[in-house]
Amino acid sequence: MHERTAAQIIADEFLIARAKILELAATLDRLDRADGDIENSKQLVLLSQGMQILCDSESDKAKRVQLLMSRQYEPEWIEKMAIRRRDVEGS
Amino acid sequence: MEYIDPHLHMVSRTTDDYETLARMGCVAISEPAFWAGFDRGSVDSFRDYFRQLTDFEPKRAAQYGISHYTWLCINAKEAENVTLSREVIAMIPEFLDAKNVLGIGEIGLNKNTRNEATIFLEHLDLAVKYNQQILIHTPHLEDKYQGTRMILDMLMGDSRINRSRVLVDHVEEHTIEHVLENGFWAGMTLYPVSKCTPQRAADMIERYGPERLMANSAGDWGPSKPTAIPDLIMEMKKRGHSKELIRRVVYENPKTFFSQSKPFVHG
Ligand SMILES: [Zn+2]
Repeated sequence: MHERTAAQIIADEFLIARAKILELAATLDRLDRADGDIENSKQLVLLSQGMQILCDSESDKAKRVQLLMSRQYEPEWIEKMAIRRRDVEGS
Repeated sequence: MEYIDPHLHMVSRTTDDYETLARMGCVAISEPAFWAGFDRGSVDSFRDYFRQLTDFEPKRAAQYGISHYTWLCINAKEAENVTLSREVIAMIPEFLDAKNVLGIGEIGLNKNTRNEATIFLEHLDLAVKYNQQILIHTPHLEDKYQGTRMILDMLMGDSRINRSRVLVDHVEEHTIEHVLENGFWAGMTLYPVSKCTPQRAADMIERYGPERLMANSAGDWGPSKPTAIPDLIMEMKKRGHSKELIRRVVYENPKTFFSQSKPFVHG
């Protein structure tokens, strides 16, 4: 599979990424200017944790932001919800 | 380039959209049954919807040389009404012999509730009983990860399910691996806002390869873009990917998957 080099990607995408950072920056400024206190807002915490993922040195950033913004999966959900599964093997 | 959109709700699009799709190279569409934007009141309302999907819609598509296939079910949102869902599931076999029906879908979860899971399992029973392929809707945004894992648990907990005949749609960066590594087909849905973009879909193709992977627009009555697949084609061309790779994702893969149910003919 053809893969672009890092130099090609930065050349192709610098302006796009720059514009996205500016959008985020302006959103934060808008929040700053507005009346009201959202210090304890869960959404604000998620945004700032998301931005930390962008700045850390680990890879897999898109997946990690997705997981950060996701409800937890519990492997025991079937028992907890008391779902009656059809007895496939036994029937 | 010729392509297939494996997930597109044409009942909520205009005839002009069919014309645009045809001009862009779309040769076939598969249309899963879904939510109408409001909860329907009776099983007869679904019966009429299934008539539309199996009779009227293929004729509208054919005027533009597009083959129209469909999938039948009661969607996850309305599955909260268990009584109505059971009536719909009991009625679906009336339509399974229609020429353009590929299987049961789009079944899945919405808010990951007990009722949704119960009706999902009853749809699986129906699919197995009638040897039907399955097309799956995974929830959106914060519910996607949990819901996708729950869906995979239910599918993998049933040894009757042939994984190569199941397509799991709306995969994103955090769910694609679970779907592909367990042997299912995966569909990436391209939306104009808030969900997966053509750029991120191209990233997933680069990362996971084209095996059992396809892309769709899931165009419907909400903000959506029925011509999103040509956007993905453009993005991949811009990145220098070969015609063969692009064609594999947007044409060969859906064709291979559909062909397990009905021989694929277009035009
Ligand atoms: Zn859909």
